[in-house]
Amino acid sequence: MSTVAERPAAIAPERASARPPKDFDRPRFLRVFAWIFYLFMFAPIALVVLFSFNSSRSLQNFEGFSFTWYDRFFSSESLRSSLIASIEIAAVTMVVATTLGTMLAYGLVRARTRWSGAANVMMLIPLVTPEIVAGVSALLLFTQIGLHLSLTTIILGHITFSISYVTVVVRGRLASLGPEVENAALDLGATRLQTFRLVTLPELWPAVLAAGLLVFALSFDDFVLSFFTTGESPQPLPVRIWSAIRFGVTPTINAIGSFMLAISLLAIGLALFLPRLLGRRESGLGVLLGREGA
Amino acid sequence: MSVEAIRAHSAEPSASAIRFEGVSKRFGDATAVSELSLDIQAGEFFSLLGPSGCGKTTTLRMVAGFEQPTAGRILLEGEPVETVPPYKRNVNTVFQSYALFEHLDVERNVAFGLQRRKVAKDEIQRRVAEALELVQLRERGKARPRELSGGQKQRVALARALVNRPAVLLLDEPLGALDLKLRKQMQVELKGIQREVGITFLYVTHDQEEALAMSDRIAVMEGGEVKQCGSPEDIYEHPSGPFVAGFIGVSNLLAGVAENGGVRLSSGVLCSAQVPADCSQGAEVHLSVRPEKIWIDDLEPGMASVDGTIVERVYVGTTTQVIVELAPGERLVALEQNTARARADDRWEIGNRVRVGWHPEHSLVLR
Amino acid sequence: MGSRLDPGEGGVSEQRFASGFLFPGAVWLLLFFLVPLGILLAISFGTTDDLGNSLYGWHPENYRDAFDPLFAPVLLRSVGYALATVVLCLAIGYPIAYYIARFGGRRKNVLIALVVLPFFVNYLVRTYAWVAILGDEGIFNGAMNTDIRFLNTPYAVIGGLVYGYLAFMILPIYAALDRMDPSLIEAGKDLYGSRWHTFRHVTFPHTFQGVLAGAVLVFLPAVGDFVSAQLLGGPDEYMVGNLIQQQFFAAENWPFGAALTTLMMLFLLIFMVMYLRSAAKASREAMA
Repeated sequence: MSTVAERPAAIAPERASARPPKDFDRPRFLRVFAWIFYLFMFAPIALVVLFSFNSSRSLQNFEGFSFTWYDRFFSSESLRSSLIASIEIAAVTMVVATTLGTMLAYGLVRARTRWSGAANVMMLIPLVTPEIVAGVSALLLFTQIGLHLSLTTIILGHITFSISYVTVVVRGRLASLGPEVENAALDLGATRLQTFRLVTLPELWPAVLAAGLLVFALSFDDFVLSFFTTGESPQPLPVRIWSAIRFGVTPTINAIGSFMLAISLLAIGLALFLPRLLGRRESGLGVLLGREGA
Repeated sequence: MSVEAIRAHSAEPSASAIRFEGVSKRFGDATAVSELSLDIQAGEFFSLLGPSGCGKTTTLRMVAGFEQPTAGRILLEGEPVETVPPYKRNVNTVFQSYALFEHLDVERNVAFGLQRRKVAKDEIQRRVAEALELVQLRERGKARPRELSGGQKQRVALARALVNRPAVLLLDEPLGALDLKLRKQMQVELKGIQREVGITFLYVTHDQEEALAMSDRIAVMEGGEVKQCGSPEDIYEHPSGPFVAGFIGVSNLLAGVAENGGVRLSSGVLCSAQVPADCSQGAEVHLSVRPEKIWIDDLEPGMASVDGTIVERVYVGTTTQVIVELAPGERLVALEQNTARARADDRWEIGNRVRVGWHPEHSLVLR
Repeated sequence: MGSRLDPGEGGVSEQRFASGFLFPGAVWLLLFFLVPLGILLAISFGTTDDLGNSLYGWHPENYRDAFDPLFAPVLLRSVGYALATVVLCLAIGYPIAYYIARFGGRRKNVLIALVVLPFFVNYLVRTYAWVAILGDEGIFNGAMNTDIRFLNTPYAVIGGLVYGYLAFMILPIYAALDRMDPSLIEAGKDLYGSRWHTFRHVTFPHTFQGVLAGAVLVFLPAVGDFVSAQLLGGPDEYMVGNLIQQQFFAAENWPFGAALTTLMMLFLLIFMVMYLRSAAKASREAMA
């Protein structure tokens, strides 16, 4: 008892001379480091966006504000069809992957079969599989079964590698929800299907939405997998960008990149804020990072 | 849902509401419930009492339909329920975590069960209002669960279950998350509601005071088995074995040997006690005495008595616990009410030699 | 079981209902993920005919060829670059995650969002922007009037990889730090006195899972990356990903490409297993 009373007295003089004990370590150094970090991270982004409005071709000097490159982008029929193709692919992928992934998450959390472990592992592997392996194996599959490379093959590939993202996000939410609420519904007379529809889904939908829009953004931006599974025409935007970089760059790339950024931001923004807008307490960010009621 | 309507709907007072016949539940190698046989009467407030892991919650879940017995059978109102899913059973559950539907307001939560049964809309409205009236939450009908306090959520869960007029209400440690004062208050309210509506309550708890206060009958469980089943007075005053004696209330257990007419303690003192007929001479037994039944000095004639030294006293407001050492390693706790005294130290001094005693009929010989 | 022959409804039907949900996703993954991997393995033992079409067969020399002096350095280089990338990502990413988690305060979410934001610009476009900045006639050399060769060096490629995958290191570490109870650090400071010791004995062990996840999430894709090497480096910096890409699109030697891919997968399998084991353990603990 006496030692506890003694300690504060011994420490107090030492603390009084140091910085206010607000927090530890060296926030000053870290803050500078963080600033430099953000600078480096955003320098290329700023460049891309800035030069997408450049009035000249130059990639070194900004000579004036202009929409030229956006004009070139949207007036080019082939680029437009690539944009539409990218959106189509992302949209279909989002719908199918979200459905399959949500169902898979529900099965993994609620069913305790001996297949659950294997299914769980099989679901996790795509998350750590390098995209080139994904691309190569998908290409081999399609050619071996005689499926002509087209938007369809891209979509099939994207869905395959998006399911896992959905499952992981939804599963986290489902686990934190717990089976009690569903048991309560059963107890009150709802069949299992009714329970899923009336109780589980309404509680789950922010997570499902967040996952779906994440899948949309990832699919829209995807390059490697698309590169291996694309047909001749139309090709999704990232593949067009690759060709452009390899065989003759124009600043139109900056316009395309900036526009794609805007689309991705829109998707992510919706994922994060739509739940809050529609009356839910938690935001999508919390769900994605695995926090409850963030 | 008027009280009269519920009463009329309830079964005959002497009918069996729930009947367990040799029910066992195994999870792989572990046995959660073992050969459970009980008969719970209609209109009873029946509690399953025991420490964590004793099987009480598993038993409740089997009645609700969330688990299936591995052996034996369960009958609800005389009908076996193995093939009946939870949503077709005439029971409703109040969960420990309340399990309210967060995306629905209070009224819709309560109405949920009635809607599943396709009850007419105006009747639903009427019955929901009555249910909320019963739990005194009429004015919070439009609130969301997250806006409610723990006690209020508990009442919504109760209303949501009762509104369906089940034959049996299952309650799984419903008051566990509430603070002490609220818990005591809810205990009284729950008992009152049960009396009013007359539905059979099957109540699970690990809090023996709670069980004693509310129940008509209690089944004390341990390790998947029922150790004793009876009224609160039976259980408390006549525990059938050391586990029940130790779990219910506090009890002193003095080691000794059975002799003719009493128990000889290890210190040599013979305490007169009612030795059970099947207990042979010389058998090793425990003599169980409740602290509040022990007198210090001022003994009455006919009491069993032992000498000892006061080694500790603990003042807890309404009572004082006096710890008396009878022999090295053998201690006894006596509970004295502070009726006439405001201070403990003016009566029981540590170090004093005292004589403690009790009426033989207040002690129990246990093996 | 017990005295019943028919399991009936109740606990068992929950299994049937929920396991029904497993099927669509599991079947899809089986057909479109596992089966292709099988095909990959099969083709890797195959060969090509005169027209460049792949044929099945038994040609294990594809694998031997992978270790040919022509190709072996590429494999080693890939692992080396990826390792360097992981180390750099950790060195940069951990302090950033630490800063945001501990000092971010109310702006924590914004700061993390800003970390993630650049990654929504297409990888190609982002990387190409560095070409514009660091090129021989790029912005840097132009503005500073210097003649530094940045591109076509290993440093550029590694830099590109770090830039490309940094978020995958930061996010798991941030999540782990954020979940940590700050009073643990206070207690640690009381106990250990020095900041370094507190970090070593309290903070770092608690975030180890996050670091592990980050390391795996960076290492695995980095080994197979070909974009950075293609855009920021030259043939001397090519990685196994470039090699594989060449086999499929230029050299038309699909079996060899498949063999290279399989080799890479097998190598990464070790780390994959490590990650899956610890992820499974973590999710078991979370749901227990």
